[in-house]
Amino acid sequence: MIPVLLLVALITFTLMHQAPGGPWDRDPSRRQVDASTQEALNKKFGLDKPLFVNIEGGNPLDSQFFTYVGNAIQGDLGPSYRQRGRDVQDILFEPPKGKAIWDSRFGYSMRLGLLALILAALLGIPLGILAALRRNTIFDYSALFVSTIGISVPSFVLAIFLIIILAGQLNLIKIIQRDWSSPGAWLVPAVVLGFGTFAYITRLTRNSMLEVMGQDYVRTAKAKGLGGRVIITRHMLRNALIPVMTIMGPALAGLITGSFIIETMFGFPGSGREYVTAIGNRDYSMIMGTTLIYALLIVLANLTVDIMYGFLDPRIKVK
Amino acid sequence: MNRQWRIVLALLAIAVVVLSACTAPAAPAAPAGEAGSEAAASGEAMAGDKVLRVNLGTFPDILDPQKSSFVNEIANLKMVYEGLTRQDGELATVPAAAESWAYNDDATALTFTLRDGLLYGDGSPLNAERFAYSIRRNIDPATAGEYASITDEILGAPEWRGCGEDAAACEAAAAQVMESVKASHADGTACTGYDDAECNTLTLTFSRPAPYFHVVSSLWVTFPAKEELITAGGENWWLDAANHIGNGPFVIDTLEQGVQALYTPNANYWGDVPQVSVDFAFITDSAVAFEAYKNNEFDIIGLSAEDLEVVQADPVLSQEANIYPGSCTFAVMFHQLKEPFTDPKVREGFARALDREGWVTDVLRGLGSPTLTWIPPGFPGYDGEESRWGFDPEAAKQAIADSSYGSVENLPPITMTFSDTPRNRTRNEWLAAKFKEVLGVDATLDPVESTTYTALTKDINTAPQMFILGWCADYPDPQNWLSVYWKTGAFGERIGYSNPELDDLLVQADTELDPAKRAELYADAQRLLTDGVPVAFMWNNVNSYLVKPWVSGIVQTPQDSGWPGDIAPWTIDIDTAAQSQ
Repeated sequence: MIPVLLLVALITFTLMHQAPGGPWDRDPSRRQVDASTQEALNKKFGLDKPLFVNIEGGNPLDSQFFTYVGNAIQGDLGPSYRQRGRDVQDILFEPPKGKAIWDSRFGYSMRLGLLALILAALLGIPLGILAALRRNTIFDYSALFVSTIGISVPSFVLAIFLIIILAGQLNLIKIIQRDWSSPGAWLVPAVVLGFGTFAYITRLTRNSMLEVMGQDYVRTAKAKGLGGRVIITRHMLRNALIPVMTIMGPALAGLITGSFIIETMFGFPGSGREYVTAIGNRDYSMIMGTTLIYALLIVLANLTVDIMYGFLDPRIKVK
Repeated sequence: MNRQWRIVLALLAIAVVVLSACTAPAAPAAPAGEAGSEAAASGEAMAGDKVLRVNLGTFPDILDPQKSSFVNEIANLKMVYEGLTRQDGELATVPAAAESWAYNDDATALTFTLRDGLLYGDGSPLNAERFAYSIRRNIDPATAGEYASITDEILGAPEWRGCGEDAAACEAAAAQVMESVKASHADGTACTGYDDAECNTLTLTFSRPAPYFHVVSSLWVTFPAKEELITAGGENWWLDAANHIGNGPFVIDTLEQGVQALYTPNANYWGDVPQVSVDFAFITDSAVAFEAYKNNEFDIIGLSAEDLEVVQADPVLSQEANIYPGSCTFAVMFHQLKEPFTDPKVREGFARALDREGWVTDVLRGLGSPTLTWIPPGFPGYDGEESRWGFDPEAAKQAIADSSYGSVENLPPITMTFSDTPRNRTRNEWLAAKFKEVLGVDATLDPVESTTYTALTKDINTAPQMFILGWCADYPDPQNWLSVYWKTGAFGERIGYSNPELDDLLVQADTELDPAKRAELYADAQRLLTDGVPVAFMWNNVNSYLVKPWVSGIVQTPQDSGWPGDIAPWTIDIDTAAQSQ
């Protein structure tokens, strides 16, 4: 895990410093930050140090990269260059004054992501199972139709579609939420965020169920005279869900880190937009921080999935 | 079958339970749709009953008067704070916190006299020492604000900003700035601190004559945020709404990251107290903002080019569209040191090949106005008479023929570099097509990533051969357009522009005390600039907004920051009966 994160850090660091421009670059049609102010800023934020190895004498590790890694290990992700005065970990994880960690930017994204994943799994898995059991019926075709739409329609199209229908036509929701503490406000963003995953889970469940249905052990179970429900839950589901579990880990990591689209469209105060804007802003520590957090979550999610395999299929052992 | 459906239903029920558990630790469950109106209602209760709901787009990255630099940040700061001067609806600079000002004989010192009895929003007194602190803080290298250089006329300011590691130099320059930015009593005696009620005079000493500095003094960098709150709050003091105690027309009620900024009228404001509260939301997707506007959730939103056609075709919305001149001029920049644009005749040829009217209609879809000069309409110094280097295909061809290259075939390859967005692609394809059509030139398109583009265009060595760029005013004075941009070594240096004759004229204009004579000198300078066709002036941007019919009293200017009416928000009123229907 540590080597993976180090490698991610190194690659990200190298790539972002290869891109021309820096955090003090502004809209070229407006006043630019003055040269001596830039110098002061570079000094203040340590951007005047060499990138990788300090060969100018002194400590060779006194470079931007090693300083960053050293601080990151201690949980300090460095100051944001754009949101000046704030550290990356504060921007992402610090809740507003007097509120819980769940009200931080990351907390918001995590709750929405979890909600989206739960919705996707709770609806997608049963739908996939039923579609497989009623193969080639109108039900199956409908499920496939919905999931094809879910996979192919981009979330910003779905978002604006739902906004126009639910708010513009039916007047069921407000488009602009000023109060995210009410649960109703979360439903539409969660549906939009989870729809693609839902569609994917549906298809995957259906396909692996169909594959399992043709297996010998299912036929054996039927031959033994077991009831339909027992066969489905005990024999088929446990095997069919393994591929679904496999994608749930990375899907979870993707969903809980936030979505740029959801946040720009619904004004949702999550952390997803940082992933996108940081790059254009050359907000180096934010780019590093968000990338490393994402990498860490992916690694953790995959680890969890590996452990879960053991429960679904005792033959798979985590070593 | 029944049993399976029961399972599905049960799962759905679980989903609903999880959903509510997951989202609302403590909040009472409310049906979707009512939450927003409840919040708005509580805001209304605090502010009288009138709330102007404005979509401002991006949430500010930083709300610190001496560090902020973006329009959305300034829009928020201008609610809570006010500078020494401000602009009126005609962009004339008028008294704000200062009731009057006077220059000395050679305009190397400027003395402001503050209004009597100025108060902060919390009722505490505001005196000249507060403004002195703000201006010094803007210069202080420890602040390293983005706009630190805008007060460089102040004696010692550039030295302090750039003193670097040299402690002795820093100390000397800082001491100099302490003297150059001086608060005092009316009789010149020293002030005793922030509670000194008689401390109403602020004197700024310059290193060179600066008869325009009262205009600069309207900028957000002079906004008097409180030293004790900044010190106690540390680097991110501005995050906490409680630290924004200001002297502007509003007080801050709510500041919720990425979601909302709510401002209510400041009863302690010296001038007319606003009649409405202002509720900023931060929706960056223009399509969503447009839907919310149609759904009566916003009173004012920005009108994007994408929605313009829909708006114009709609009998109701077209009446609500509010399109008026903006604060920027855009031009096709020619690098004066890169072939073939070293030759003024070639520049003339390319400038005359551009059909500005067609550009505005076809490419900008009407959201812009063609121009042949640098300072935009509505700004002091605008030259409506300028007609040189306009679209004329024959003259364009002739200019190339008269150039040192003799004909188009002899021109070196032409490359047009731009920030790679769909919009810029269309723009540059249009330009390339025009050059092909009129001159027979095959220009190559060179799209680059947006921050890369910014980085390239900043430097004289990396600036491309030809590219579109503009300038947006910091403050409405010809000095900001001409001296700040076109003097040798200023922003125009990126395309290698340097004209000693123009430099001389601008020095004269910058130091001239007689306003009429000064205006004349700048007018001459602008003509002189255009003489050599340094760039092809193309268009001025427009501000475009949708404003609901129940909003009245909006005073709009080309210099509006983020929303129309910010220059005099106290004149805005709302017909709440119509709004709530």
